[in-house]
Amino acid sequence: MIARLQKAVIRDGRFTLTFSVDNHRFFNLLSGGDTVEATKATPVKYDMDVVRWFTIAAVIYAVVGTLIGVYVASELAWPFLNFDIPEITFGRLRPLHTNAVIFAFGGCVLMATGYYIVQRTGQTKLWSNKLAWFNFWGWNLIIVLAVITLPLGLSEGKEYAELPWWVDIMIAVVWLSFGLNHIMTTAIRKTSHIYVSNWFTMGMIVMITYLHVVNSLAIPVDMATSYSIYSGVQDAMIQWWWGHNAVGFYLTGGFLGIMYYFIPKQSGRPVFSYRLSVLHFWTLTFGYVWLGAHHLQYTALPDWTGSLGAAVSLAMIIPSWGGAMNGMMTLSGAWDKLRTDYILRFLVTAMAFYAMSTFDGPVMAIKTVNALSHYTDWTVGHVHAGALGWMSMISFGAIYHMVKKLWNTEMYSEKLVNVHFWIALVGAVTYIVAMWVSGIMQGLMWRDYDEFGTLTYTFVESVSAMHPYYVMRAVGGAIFNLGTWIMLFNVVMTVRQASAVRGVNAVPAKA
Amino acid sequence: MEYFHTDWAALTNNDWQGVIFTVAAFVAMIVVYVMVFNPKNKDAFESQCDMALREESEYNKSGDKK
Repeated sequence: MIARLQKAVIRDGRFTLTFSVDNHRFFNLLSGGDTVEATKATPVKYDMDVVRWFTIAAVIYAVVGTLIGVYVASELAWPFLNFDIPEITFGRLRPLHTNAVIFAFGGCVLMATGYYIVQRTGQTKLWSNKLAWFNFWGWNLIIVLAVITLPLGLSEGKEYAELPWWVDIMIAVVWLSFGLNHIMTTAIRKTSHIYVSNWFTMGMIVMITYLHVVNSLAIPVDMATSYSIYSGVQDAMIQWWWGHNAVGFYLTGGFLGIMYYFIPKQSGRPVFSYRLSVLHFWTLTFGYVWLGAHHLQYTALPDWTGSLGAAVSLAMIIPSWGGAMNGMMTLSGAWDKLRTDYILRFLVTAMAFYAMSTFDGPVMAIKTVNALSHYTDWTVGHVHAGALGWMSMISFGAIYHMVKKLWNTEMYSEKLVNVHFWIALVGAVTYIVAMWVSGIMQGLMWRDYDEFGTLTYTFVESVSAMHPYYVMRAVGGAIFNLGTWIMLFNVVMTVRQASAVRGVNAVPAKA
Repeated sequence: MEYFHTDWAALTNNDWQGVIFTVAAFVAMIVVYVMVFNPKNKDAFESQCDMALREESEYNKSGDKK
């Protein structure tokens, strides 16, 4: 390897043996992947260290975020787990869970893959490596601030946007650093075409900037308090315009960018229909912004807004399923790989869950169904079909794929990847089924009348009836969390293994 | 027809901005559909379907596929 690398140095004077002269042990563990590029006799040297750090951070946040989720789910099943400590009550830990899985885990995955894909498909290094590091440390500082402020009860009370106003400003600055770097790296690409994954990522960047800033507009009172500039029904509308588009552009669009790159790479097959992928992007971009009102059926909003939200939600099944089919059909001629390629299993299963959640959601948006499903655990089941089945599965597949490439090694244990896959699948299905059954049961109990027109069940009776399903949810979540621990172990051992091999090979270079 | 009645005179500047943006977005979506489904553009689009698979050695000096 060293001999080949030396050849690369001769061919291109820009290459240096940075990986072998770096003495910091932790940095050494995380660096090294650039040698992969160097040994390929290519003039492109990517900035992959920041991608490695984002990848490792994502794995850690997957463990922590889902662990907090298991705890809050357990609190609902066994309320004594509050221990009368305000900082660990459900109301404070639930936003910590959602922030940890969406913004810490999901954000690090999106930034790792965003920087990885834009460099490789553009055949260029990052526009600014320093800005990428600012992005990494800034994003992690925000996560630390969330860990401090949310358990203390500092919250703006807006779902998925709970953090205090001054953290919102930091989020905007750090997010824009990611956006600027990604867009400028795209601008300096050496290829004429911009690959569809980058379109999805840039669409997410533009829309999330817009959504975050508008939704977070508030009048600050002190460091802990601010008041939204919107009130009443406008506040609700803005909240769900943000809330559903965070789902649409961040948790869907961003991760579709991952899908369109990693499924072809892992399967070794071209995208089934590139035209369909372009259509998928533009239809999602035009369509998603209309959906938010379906969260507010039967409220003070004008009736037509809910109808519009429901109608466009149903229309969105077409591009969503088109995209899901596009991802699956990419495996045409390579389905046999699912027998042996465990990473591909994650990616393809994610597509199945994507198709399922993008059918489930529009059905729930229909007013008749919404009358039953709204405010019930069915919504929680739907969200987790997307979060556990789609977003996490596609992320796990991408992470395993990148770890092998970034550290130029095989996984420490392919069997553990397979074990993780099955554990994640069983955990996700257990969770989702529990919430579907619980949600439909709740809806039916709440709307049941006796012959005299009075409610058949009290609210407390419906809560009591949910207990077995809440236990089942906690168990499903715990199983899913176990899978993330296995991934963490496997990734750490893989990195250590790669580091050890590199250490042995680097000795002659040092000498 | 009563349901579709609109008091155009009552529309504010914000309303008009929204209407214009909405119609523009709708037209843009139609343009994209026409562009993507136009058979003449099929080869141009599909030539990029393997872009993710191309490794460094498969690019020429300008960065495009050999």
